[in-house]
Order: sequence, then structure tokens, then C-alpha cells
Amino acid sequence: MLRSEKRSLIRFLILYLGSTFILFSIASWLFYISSKHHLLDQQRESIKYEAEHIKSQLRTLHQSNAAKLVYPNHTHIQSAIYDLDKTYIFGTFKTEQPLDINKYENRLYHTLKVEPYYLGVAYLMVTKDIDFEPIGKLQKNIILFMLAAGVFFVILGYFLGKLFVAPMRDAIKQMNHFIQDTTHELNTPISTILTNIEMIETFGKHEENSTELKRIEIASKTLNRIYDDLTYINLNHKYHRNIVNLNMSTLIEERMVYFSAMAEAKGLNVTVNTDPDVMLQIDKNDAIRLVDNLISNAIKYNRSKGFLHVTLTEEQFLVKDTGTGIGSKDLSTILQRFKRANKSEGGFGIGLDIVNQVVISYDFALEMNSKEAEGTEVSVKWKK
Amino acid sequence: MEKIVMVLSFLSLFLYAEELNTQEHSFKNTCLSCHQQQQIPSALIYKRYLMKYSTNKRMEDAMFIYMKDPKKEHSIMPAPFFLKFPMKENVDLDDDTLRKHIKTYLELFDIKKKLMLEE
Repeated sequence: MLRSEKRSLIRFLILYLGSTFILFSIASWLFYISSKHHLLDQQRESIKYEAEHIKSQLRTLHQSNAAKLVYPNHTHIQSAIYDLDKTYIFGTFKTEQPLDINKYENRLYHTLKVEPYYLGVAYLMVTKDIDFEPIGKLQKNIILFMLAAGVFFVILGYFLGKLFVAPMRDAIKQMNHFIQDTTHELNTPISTILTNIEMIETFGKHEENSTELKRIEIASKTLNRIYDDLTYINLNHKYHRNIVNLNMSTLIEERMVYFSAMAEAKGLNVTVNTDPDVMLQIDKNDAIRLVDNLISNAIKYNRSKGFLHVTLTEEQFLVKDTGTGIGSKDLSTILQRFKRANKSEGGFGIGLDIVNQVVISYDFALEMNSKEAEGTEVSVKWKK
Repeated sequence: MEKIVMVLSFLSLFLYAEELNTQEHSFKNTCLSCHQQQQIPSALIYKRYLMKYSTNKRMEDAMFIYMKDPKKEHSIMPAPFFLKFPMKENVDLDDDTLRKHIKTYLELFDIKKKLMLEE
């Protein structure tokens, strides 16, 4: 799975599952409240029924002539009777309870008006503990349902997400295939052009057409550099790095010779200040990609007859130009692949992405300062 | 000092008990003996008052009104009752004594005192 595809899938899953979870939680909460009220109502109905039963038993007691009148005592229920002035008459409580009793949260209360006043009773108060067992079962069922729904939606979300990112994945795959094919096709003609230019320069009579030859050389080297960059991107995750103790001073001087034709063509004033024998532990190809892209950008986006400063010290490699510069709003995204702040010159927008990849791989620090119409300064720093 | 207080307390209790005894005796002579002679169902009458008025105070007031002016419209008993039993005659008692007799009557027939919980 591609990195961007994975990232998109994760974001989609977070959003989808998050919103589903919130919705389900609200629905479950509402269902729980409604069901709990229904369960409590059922229990209230049961104590109302008990109250009516006790009332009928009071009638029987009122009519009885027995010497002792046994007050009805139902299991799990406590009751008390009061006269018309709400004075306590009798009850099953351990102590005398007033009619307007402080109601406990875990108990249900029901007061029934009695008429006619059997045994002088005008009010019958019945109370019992709330049975939390069915409420506990309800909570357990809701939690189980939520878990099951959660598992279902995670699986569904994963497949939906894969469907969602499929077009993006296909597009990226297509682009990668294209780059792969293009680099493969470019290799032979570029090598042929450069080899023949070298032969002409070394062995052939070229004084009359030296300008044209220079242009061909510049164009061919540009093509070659693009080819190298595309190959680097295409093979990067499979590329086996060969870390050596590389002489950066020598490398930079070589690359400056390589780019000299391009710089001359633009009439640039080039200054190169390299400390001697600056050594760095790095793969040669990575170093060339890093240096080439920074220098080529500095030349490409420079103004005609501008300045190009290349500096190498023990701690950093710095390239400064007097080119078009990069706007502040583009500066934060300029390292993204295919991102281009200035489309006036040719290119794919992959150069700085390659530079950034090398910087990240070797834990270097990349700093870019730029001002539009003034120029850009890019520095790559490393720890010694 | 304590001895005097004790003696006075015992004396007042004795006098109170004596008064109660006297009151009960007077009630029995004035009211109950006639009820028993005519086989008037006093307990039933009490229950009817209880069922209609609930509290002792209300029952006492209702009974007082009837006793002062015994008429069918003041009586709690249904009309057929007076086919069997004669209308009560006016009592020749002062209000205070009458109220005391009524209280004694309510106390005697109070069925709420019979209430108990199953052991």
C-alpha cells in the first residue's frame, strides 16, 4: 500500500468511524433513557396495583369485628396510612413516617387517595426499592450491541475506504508506471547524445558550430539530469545505498564543471567557495542528486547575468541565487512532489522533493530563505 | 424537696385517674346504658362516622351537631335505620360534658387501636 494511500485510508476511517460512533452513542443513549423510563413505569404500575390491593384490604379490615386487625404486609413493599389531616395512623415502617417523606432516589413512591375513609384512612403511601436488575440487563445489552455494531462498521469502513482510495491509488500507479517507462526509454538516446558530444569535442572539428554544440550539450545534460532524478524517485524505495567517505569538495567542483555550460549560457557570475577536503559519510548518487538539484534550480530560476554563490564548509552546503524567488505562501509546500512555485521554466517539480528525501535519509537540516524577485538561499547542514 | 414533688405527682395522677374513672362512669350511665338497652349498634355507628369524617376532631364535631339537635338530616345513619330505632331525644347536658362523652365514645370504639402487624 502506498504511503499516501495509507494516510488517506486512515483519515477516512477516523472520520467515518468517529461520526458513526457519535451517532450510535446518541441513538443508544436515547434508547437507554426511553427503555429505562419504560422499565421504571412498569415498576410504578406494580406498586400502584399493590396500593389498590392494600386499599381493598383496608375495606375488609374496616368491616371486620375481630379483636385484632392484622395490617396487610406485602413482600418487598412498605406502606403507611394517614388520615385526612395527613396524620400518621399505622404502617410497616420501623418508625413513624410523614406523608411528605424525603424521597430516596433508589425507591419508588406512590400515594393513593382513599375514599371513603376506611379505618379513617384518607391517604395510603406505598414504597419499594427500584429493581435495578432489568436496568442492568438493558445496559449490558446496549453495550454488547454497540460492540457488535462497532466491529461491523470497522470492517465495513475498511472496505469502503479501500473503494474510496482506489481511484487515487490507480492514478498514482499509472503515473509511476509512466515515469518508469519514460526513464527506461530515455536512457539510451540521452547516453548516445552525450557520448557523441564528448567525441566531437575531443576528436572532431567543431569551432564553427561551437555555440550550437554548447546548446546541444546543455540540453542533453538537462535531459540527463531529469532522467537521473526520475530514476532516483522510481527506484528510491528499492535503492541500496553504498555509504562511503565522500570528498564533497571534489564532488562540488566536478558538478560545477558539469553545469558550467548552463551557467555561461545565462551569463551568470558564479563564485564557488569550498573548504578543502570536506568529507561526508554519504552515498555518491545521493550526494550528486542533492548538489545537482540545488545548483540546477539556482541556475534555472536565476535572472540573466545574475549571481550564483556556492559555498561548502565543514558543516554546510549553501547555494544562493538572485533569481525569481519563492513566495511566502508557496515556501511551506515547495518540497512536495510535483509542486512548482514558478512554471516559467520547464520541469516536473521533483527536484526539491529529491533534495528533501536525501536530507531526511541522512538526518540533515534543510533551510530555505527566499524573497520574490530577489532570490533564494538554500542551505543543507549536517552534524560532524 | 424531692419527696414533696413525688407526693404531689402521685396525688395528681391519682386525681386524674379518678376523674377518668368518673367520666367513664358518667358516660356509661348517660349514654351507653341506653344504647345497650335498645341494642343500638354503637360500633357500627362509629365506623360510619369514621368512614365519612376520617379524623377524631371531625367526627366529634359532626356528632356534637347531631347530639345538640337530633334530626335525620344531621344523622349519619340511613333512613331505614330510623324505621327500627327511634330518633334520639335531646340530651340535657352542657356542651363541655357532651363533648367529653363524645370523646369517650370515640376512644372506646376506636378500631385503629386494634391494628397490628403479622408476627
